[in-house]
Amino acid sequence: MNSDLVINDLRVSVEDKEILKGVNLTVKAGSIHAIMGPNGSGKSTLAYTLMGHPGYTVTGGEVWYQGRNILELEPDERSKLGLFLAFQYPVAIPGVTVANFLRAAINAHRAEEGKDPKETAIPMAQFRKQLREQMAALGIDEGFARRYLNEGFSGGEKKRIEILQMAMLEPSMAIMDETDSGLDIDALKIVAQGVNTLYAQHPEMGVLVITHYQRLLNYIKPHFVSVLMDGRIVREGGPELALELEEKGYDFIREEVASA
Amino acid sequence: MTMKTFPPLGEISDALVTEMSQAAGEPEWLTAQRVEAWRFFASAEPPYWRRTDLSKFRPEQVIAAADTAATSVYYEEDLTEKGVVLVTLEQALRSHEALIRQHLGAAIEPTRHKFLALNAALWRDGVFLYVPKNVTVELPLTAVFSMPIPGGAIMPRNLIILDDGANVTFVEEYHSTAASDQAFAAPVTEMFLGNDATLRFIAVQTWGEDVYHIGAQKARVGRGATIEWAAVNLGARVQHIEAETSLEGDGSRVEWVAATFAGDHQNLLTAPWLRHIGAKTEAHMDFKTVVKDQSYTTFDGMIKIERQSRATVSRLEEHALHLSPKARSDSIPGLMIDTNDVARAGHASTSGEVDEEQLFYMRSRGIPRDDAIHLIVTGFFEPVLDRIPHDALRRRIADMIEAKI
Repeated sequence: MNSDLVINDLRVSVEDKEILKGVNLTVKAGSIHAIMGPNGSGKSTLAYTLMGHPGYTVTGGEVWYQGRNILELEPDERSKLGLFLAFQYPVAIPGVTVANFLRAAINAHRAEEGKDPKETAIPMAQFRKQLREQMAALGIDEGFARRYLNEGFSGGEKKRIEILQMAMLEPSMAIMDETDSGLDIDALKIVAQGVNTLYAQHPEMGVLVITHYQRLLNYIKPHFVSVLMDGRIVREGGPELALELEEKGYDFIREEVASA
Repeated sequence: MTMKTFPPLGEISDALVTEMSQAAGEPEWLTAQRVEAWRFFASAEPPYWRRTDLSKFRPEQVIAAADTAATSVYYEEDLTEKGVVLVTLEQALRSHEALIRQHLGAAIEPTRHKFLALNAALWRDGVFLYVPKNVTVELPLTAVFSMPIPGGAIMPRNLIILDDGANVTFVEEYHSTAASDQAFAAPVTEMFLGNDATLRFIAVQTWGEDVYHIGAQKARVGRGATIEWAAVNLGARVQHIEAETSLEGDGSRVEWVAATFAGDHQNLLTAPWLRHIGAKTEAHMDFKTVVKDQSYTTFDGMIKIERQSRATVSRLEEHALHLSPKARSDSIPGLMIDTNDVARAGHASTSGEVDEEQLFYMRSRGIPRDDAIHLIVTGFFEPVLDRIPHDALRRRIADMIEAKI
C-alpha cells in the first residue's frame, strides 16, 4: 500500500466556477511539503476537497492514499484512513466540550465493524492522561477540556486546539490550512513546535502545509515546496523556493508562467 | 393499583363535587371554590387554540383520580428539623389551611380557561412545599406524578411557598412508561417567592405517547428573589403549557431555560409569559427546540414590561433545530413595553437544519454523520440538562433524547 498522497489532475468547481484546473501533486510519506500561493489560487479549495467538504464539486481527477481513491470516501472514512485537516477557521460546537468531542473522535477511530463500541472505546483513565499530557505540551490550560469546543476561543486558542486534536488522533497525513493566519509570533511558535514534536514522534507522517506566507516555514521546515497559482501547480522545488518567493513575491512566477 | 376515581366527567354534577369534598373533610371555603370552578368547567366552551390540536381529545370520557395515588415525593434530608414541609396538598390542608387558603388560586386564575377550572374543581394529587424564612434546603426535593390507571386522568395541584430568604430546589416530574389509552394530565403549579428567596424549579414532562398534557405554572417573585427555571418537554401526544414568571419585587430575577424535543406526530406547545413589574428586574430566557418526523412545536411567548417597571433587563433567545423536513416549529415571540425606562431588552432567534459546516468539521475527525448529529443535538440541549440536579434524572433525560434522535 502506498502511504504517499498522490493527486492526479484534480479538477474542482465551486458553484459552477472551476477553481482547481488539474492539480498534480505527490506528498510523500515522511515528508513536510509546503504549498504556497497567493490569495484566490485555490489553496483552501484543495484542503477542503482533500477532506471531502460537500460544498466542493470534483469534476475530474483522482486522489490516491493507502490504496484508495479517497474522493470516493466520506470525510469520516478519510479521517479513519489517517487524513487530518487543521482548519483555517475551526467552527464552534456549542454544548460539546473539547474533552467529549475528542473522546468521540478517538472512539470513532477505534470502532470496529461488528464490535460493541463500548468494547473498543478508549479507557477513561487512559484518555484523561493522554489529554492532560498533550494539553500541557501545547501550553493549553487544563480548563479548556471542559469548555465548549471553539466557543468564544481566540484565534490562537482555536489553532492550538486544532493541533491538540491532531496530536490526539495521530494522523498519518496531516493537512494544515493556513495555520499561521491570525497568529502572533508567540502563538505561531507554539503551534509550529506542536507540529514538529508530533512529526519527530511519527517520522513516517506526511505533512502538507498550506500557506500564503513564508513566515510559518521558518518554524516548520519543509522538504518540498510547490507553488499553486490559478488552480494549477506551477513550480516545484526545495525550501529555497519559499525564500525566493519571500524575496521576489508571487509576481515573478506569474510572469514566468505567462511567458512560458 | 387500586385507586379511587370520579365517574367520567360527563356524569359529574355540582352535588357530587360537594359530596366528594365534604367526604374528604375539606373546609367549606374549598368546597365552595371547587363547586364554583366545576360550574365554570361545565358551562364553558373548550378553548380554541389554533396551535394545540384537541380534535381527537374526548374530555367527557375522562376518569379523574379521586385520591393522591399519582403523587410521590422524594427528599434526602431531614426536613422537619428545619421546619420545611413537603407533603401532598390534601394532607397539608390539615396542618396549613390558612397558608393554603391565602395562596391557592392567587397566582393562577381558575377561570382563565376550562381546563384550569377543571383542575381547580377536581384536584386531589399535588404537593405542598413550604420553606420557612432563611432556611436553605441543600438537596433537591422531587415530586413525581405518574398515570396510575391507563386512560385515566390526573389533576395535580402544586403549591410552592418560599418565605423570605428561603432557598430550595424543587423538581416536578411527569412520567409514564408504557404507551396506554388516551390519558389526560392537567397539572397546575403555583409558586410564591418571598423577598430574597431562591427557587430552582425543574419541570420535566416525559409522558408516554398518548397523553394529553394541559398545564399551567406560574411564579410570583418577590423583592430581590431569584427563580432559576428549567423545563424539559419530551413526552405526550399533545402538550399545552402556559407558564408565567411575574417579576413583581424590585431586583427580582429569572433565569429561564427550556428544552423541547418532539418526534413522530407530537404536538408540543409552550407559552411562556414574562412580566416585568418591579424596578431593576432581570430576565434571561433561553428556549431550545428540536423537531423531528412530523412533529409540530410552538413557542408562543410574551414579554411584558409594565408601566411601573424601571431599568429593566430582558433577554430572550429561542433556537430551533429541524432534523426532518416535515417537522414544523412555530415561534411567536411578543414584546409589549409600557415603560420608557428599559435598560436592555434583546431577542435572538434561529431556526434551521443541522449546520453543514459543523457536521463536516466533526466528520473530518472521524465521527460518522449520525453520531455527529447526536453530539450536536445533545450539545444543543446541554445548557438545560446542565441544570438538572439529579445525576440519575439527567442520565434518564439524556438517554431519552438519544433514543429520540
